[in-house]
Amino acid sequence: MIRIDGLGFCYQGASKQALSDITLDIRDGDFIGVTGPSGAGKTTLAFALSGVIPHHLKGEFSGSVRIGDIDTAKASPEEIARRVGIVCQDAEGQLLASTAEDEMLFGLENFGTPREEIEDRISYALDSAGITDLRHRTISSLSGGQKRKLAFASITALRPEVIVLDEPTADLDPQSSRRVFETLRALSVSRGATVIIAEQKVMLLCEFADRLAVMDGGRIALEGPVREVLRQGDRLEEAGVGMPGVSVLSRRLKEAGLYSGDIPVSLAEGERMMRKAAADAAF
Amino acid sequence: MLRFENVSFGYGGADVLANVSFEIAKGEFAVLMGGNGAGKSVLCRLAAGLLKPSSGKVTVGGHNTMHVKTSALASLAGFLFQDSDRQICRGAVAAEIMLGLENTGFDEKSRRKRCEVMLEMFGLDGRRDPFSLSGGERRKAALASVLAPEPGLLILDEPTAGLGCRERTAVMDIISRLNEEGTTVLMASQDMEAAAGYARRALVLNRGGVAADGGVRDVMRRGEVMREASLLPAQIPSLAAMIGDLGRSFENAFTIDDMVSAVLRSRNSGRDAAP
Amino acid sequence: MKDFPDYAAGDSALHSLNPLTKLILTFVLCVACFLTKDHIFMASVILCDVCLAAAAGMFRRSLRVLASLLALAFILFFVQVLSVRQGSVVLSLPAGFYLTDCGVSSSLTSALRMTAALTPLALMLSVTKMSGLPNVLVKLLRVPYRYAFVLTAAIRFMPIFFEETARIMEAQTARGVEHDTGSFLKKARLMLPVCAPAFASSVRRIKAGAVSARLRGAGLRTRECVYKNYPFGAPDAAAFFFCALVTAAAIIV
Repeated sequence: MIRIDGLGFCYQGASKQALSDITLDIRDGDFIGVTGPSGAGKTTLAFALSGVIPHHLKGEFSGSVRIGDIDTAKASPEEIARRVGIVCQDAEGQLLASTAEDEMLFGLENFGTPREEIEDRISYALDSAGITDLRHRTISSLSGGQKRKLAFASITALRPEVIVLDEPTADLDPQSSRRVFETLRALSVSRGATVIIAEQKVMLLCEFADRLAVMDGGRIALEGPVREVLRQGDRLEEAGVGMPGVSVLSRRLKEAGLYSGDIPVSLAEGERMMRKAAADAAF
Repeated sequence: MLRFENVSFGYGGADVLANVSFEIAKGEFAVLMGGNGAGKSVLCRLAAGLLKPSSGKVTVGGHNTMHVKTSALASLAGFLFQDSDRQICRGAVAAEIMLGLENTGFDEKSRRKRCEVMLEMFGLDGRRDPFSLSGGERRKAALASVLAPEPGLLILDEPTAGLGCRERTAVMDIISRLNEEGTTVLMASQDMEAAAGYARRALVLNRGGVAADGGVRDVMRRGEVMREASLLPAQIPSLAAMIGDLGRSFENAFTIDDMVSAVLRSRNSGRDAAP
Repeated sequence: MKDFPDYAAGDSALHSLNPLTKLILTFVLCVACFLTKDHIFMASVILCDVCLAAAAGMFRRSLRVLASLLALAFILFFVQVLSVRQGSVVLSLPAGFYLTDCGVSSSLTSALRMTAALTPLALMLSVTKMSGLPNVLVKLLRVPYRYAFVLTAAIRFMPIFFEETARIMEAQTARGVEHDTGSFLKKARLMLPVCAPAFASSVRRIKAGAVSARLRGAGLRTRECVYKNYPFGAPDAAAFFFCALVTAAAIIV
């Protein structure tokens, strides 16, 4: 259980609060998507969950973040690291080694993963990110998207209880982006990992996440199960967040009196909606 | 405006691009799509003269990039880097915008004027430090600096990556307006929704070559080619492909408007057919 | 400038030397360059490095690196030669500047020394994996990981700085700054203002790397954590013998 209570943060030298009065409970095994315009505080929230603030970046911290039985402000960075893995927005800055394999090894070694498990973990994580063929490549020879996939794999290999991701698909192609979400869903379903993902690709969030938190100006503007959040289209628009194409389509059809069912959040639900609308129209 | 003739490029033995040929005419808005590592960024760099082809010929506005200095191409072709934060070199937005103007033959007075116009167009405060802005505003500042010298060709590497919906629309609307005024645009993008909504032509890169080239609508309907290249069509065209059995107007729908009118049409024809 | 080396994959004898041997060899060569004032010795260190690089199949790369280093050395020479006031004037320049005989010779020494001290470092970085250095320090020398990390970060600063400089120059070239000019002096003049932002962003990157390491449990890293083994072999013995020779030579000349 993660409990964020009255969290506020202001970076040193900044004139504006990056986060103010964030209160949010996340149950174990939840898959929660965080979205909102840039500058809304998504990255700072990810930093708070992984202990980057207040341990590594200075500023004014108020409220508390509890992960299970530890308080991130009081626990050592190592204690937090044992439970929380973070994939940072700046994937390139996260990579430390010369080759992809060494990068994968680094975290596994630190947490004392048993030797006989290491090989399995590396090959599984590389495979699930779709980069098995890059294992022996030097990192400087990888493209931006490939580096991002490696940063992702180096964290999933650690199998943390809580995995925090800050725009992990920003420069990935559409199929690789889906693959990242599929891997996360597998981690969440089969291992009970808690996933907190800051992301601009609302379409993917709506399809894969259980809950959605919309941030705006350092606060949580909307929060709840995906469908409930999507039903509040006007408030989403106000916060500068788009909806998946099928959800927008359902609103348009409703306005025209052509559809009356629930709002679709995925392509499959969109298909059902269209078949229903077309069938209704025929009578 | 931009022409690739049998262009190949490789580092360390392996070819990233092999024998690529295409031409983008003045005033076009083309999107370059492709999976990670397909060579989109390399192609953009070749187009801006930042990389030179291993073989073949790249011409920008009639100039062979092999024979012209890259810095001299700057007034012809504006380049927005994928990681646009890294292209910012000065401590204030206005100074950053001036950088491009100082080196592309603008006199003092017209520089000031262009700078004002850009700040106005993007709604930016010229005195702010770019690194104190949010990611979306910083992207706008980088784009403003690229657009200031009024280049005839815009090469944009992932202009919408990491932007929220509102900022994405703002940036794309500006690009689209410039295109309507005559600027040629080549945009590398993974953002299928932006590609579907703004570009008219699409080029798909896969395995070092051009796998498809044509109108955005036609290319996005070629599901096989798209999947091969690690792409997925935007949501509405994907939906259209799934419900093609409902009728032509559903199958060919590309935008939300198309879908709504397809339902309307089937309602009307349903009524007509009813006894 | 964009060619300052990062690790380049390979399986040459140099690649397979123990990272500790490479570190010691580099250290000895660097220190030797600072101990001696002999220009021929420094030049031979450079030559020796180019030969070693050629043996590792990186001849062309090493020449490009050398060219970048010489460019940097030239800037150093230029700044120093104009600021030294001692000695007799050999050339008067406008705006109150002049060159002296002491200035020319001491600037030449420091420029050459910098080049000679950095070439072995550059070579080591191209044939040693980034994780190899801290690993041997931790595993073989029992240095706490924190210090090993700091040392590696310090060594890595140079390549990161060169990379950042290249990045900014590329961005500026795309906006018409003539970094691709043929004139060497103009090039150097345009490069000077790039150094400050490149320095700042290099520091940012090093810091981000340190945070990222902590987030992946670097604070827990001990000797036992290191998965790979780093044995010594015959080539390492040969390299140590070579070190002894260099040390002797540096002391004698």
